[in-house]
Amino acid sequence: MTDLQERSGVGLVPVPPRPAQPLRTRVSRWLLSLIAVAGFVGCLRLADVDPIELAQGLPTMAGWLVQAFPPSTEALDTLLLRAAETVAIAVVGTTFAVILALPLCVLAARNTTPSGWVRLPVRLFLNGLRGVDAFVFALLFVAAVGLGPFAGVLGIALHTWGSMGKLFSESIEALPNGPLEAAELTGAGKVKTASFTLLPDVLPSISGIGLYLMEFNIRASTVLGVVGAGGIGQELKNAVDLLAFPRLATILLVILVMVTLVDQLSARLRKRLA
Amino acid sequence: MTALSVRGLSHAYGGVPVLTSVDLDVEPGQVVAVVGPSGAGKTTLFRCLTRLVRADAGALEVHGRDLQQLEGAALRDARRDLGLVFQSYNLVRRLTALQNVLVGRLADVPTWRVVLRRFPAHEQALAASCLDQVGLLRFAHTRADRLSGGQQQRVAIARVLASRARVVLADEPVASLDPASAGAVLAALRSLATSHGKAVVCSLHQVDLVAGFADRVVGLRDGRVVLDVPAARFTPDVARDLYTPELERTPAR
Ligand SMILES: Nc1ncnc2c1ncn2[C@@H]1O[C@H](COP(=O)(O)OP(=O)(O)OP(=O)(O)O)[C@@H](O)[C@H]1O
Ligand SMILES: [Mg+2]
Repeated sequence: MTDLQERSGVGLVPVPPRPAQPLRTRVSRWLLSLIAVAGFVGCLRLADVDPIELAQGLPTMAGWLVQAFPPSTEALDTLLLRAAETVAIAVVGTTFAVILALPLCVLAARNTTPSGWVRLPVRLFLNGLRGVDAFVFALLFVAAVGLGPFAGVLGIALHTWGSMGKLFSESIEALPNGPLEAAELTGAGKVKTASFTLLPDVLPSISGIGLYLMEFNIRASTVLGVVGAGGIGQELKNAVDLLAFPRLATILLVILVMVTLVDQLSARLRKRLA
Repeated sequence: MTALSVRGLSHAYGGVPVLTSVDLDVEPGQVVAVVGPSGAGKTTLFRCLTRLVRADAGALEVHGRDLQQLEGAALRDARRDLGLVFQSYNLVRRLTALQNVLVGRLADVPTWRVVLRRFPAHEQALAASCLDQVGLLRFAHTRADRLSGGQQQRVAIARVLASRARVVLADEPVASLDPASAGAVLAALRSLATSHGKAVVCSLHQVDLVAGFADRVVGLRDGRVVLDVPAARFTPDVARDLYTPELERTPAR
């Protein structure tokens, strides 16, 4: 008798053998693996992946790196102003997105809006917004409202509206149903129930999502200037166009410092919320 | 007038009958205990009575108003006469006890006040007095998730009290409570009927608690009302018989 049996007083039972896998399952597994590998090879072809070209390009890039030192400090104040503009685009755009997403997320969640006639069109709309990148929206808005950070704000706001609406509605769906039913039974309408009983329970998770998207948008805003939608991206594009490598190095450093600071701040805030 | 009147209420989930032709009348000031084995259909009955689920058939009247056919705003309005205390309390965890009681007042407070959380002084006073009646006034500003189970359940009762519903339903309100808390909760429910003239329907699993609490006992088994007697006639023998599965029951002699 083993030690375990003695201690537990329970007879041990042998683990039953695994049922043999039918031939069909094994064959289809092989086939699936083959298809996956073939698909990846096809993608490599389509993406023009060529290690030789990379190897040939490396010395050029190394040359740029050498030229980039020391980074230039010329017109640093404009750079910092542009960096602040980038943060401002993200902050304003994300805030607009929160205001737009709050009412729609209630309409997009299954537990608060059981009727598919309302919920599905709302979801489709949010998914549409989410499907178009902020960069693409900004490109359109530059044409519509002209060059400058406002086009960037609009781009960020629209795309984030979609992502945020979807994420918010998912956190509403994760809520227990009971308190909602209890509020519904008092005979109060949707706006009252949502603002008074739903909001407190989802507030921690939606502020976490809001902060995360804000942080994400600050990173996304750094490139908006490439299409003329304001921020430090404009300086980035100028420097690349002029092959002004010392300037480019400074810009990249400013972006790195900015993004790191924002990440730290956001991580701290989110820790507080949890 | 009869507070709650149910006639021939039937409901099936996916073709399986869960409630079959249930009749039930409750008068104002009366406490009715609903007992019966697990799966008998007690929770389903409460969900049908509140129209959280629409029963397949039957008539449902609350103080003379037919609830079964109403929809939308009319249903919302009619539901104000109904209060439900859930087994799992269903408080908003991150609101205080007082705010949770104010949830019972939402229907009567203008929307902007609710959104801005600016409840009129008289509403707050009403909520406070409801908390006081369940003995929890000193926890008014404590968050719901910091209260014990029995305290949370009493807050839920205060919420129903604040809503001024004249018909109060409670689905196993003491199932997860210790005997002392259970006693306090049942006493609070009892006083809704005695001091406020409300009609109270409450399902219970602890048949020994029924005697000091209810006026009448309704027994459910397999979705049918098999017993409807004054509490005094709900003896241990009757209780045992109700909870004995069909197969083990000895045929009547
Ligand atoms: N949403 C549902 N979908 C399908 N079947 C359900 C649903 N809710 C309940 N049922 C079934 O209906 C029957 C009655 O369930 P109900 O919850 O009303 O019983 P109960 O008397 O409240 O039991 P308990 O004492 O365990 O709470 C059970 O057989 C259950 O499986
Ligand atoms: Mg139940």
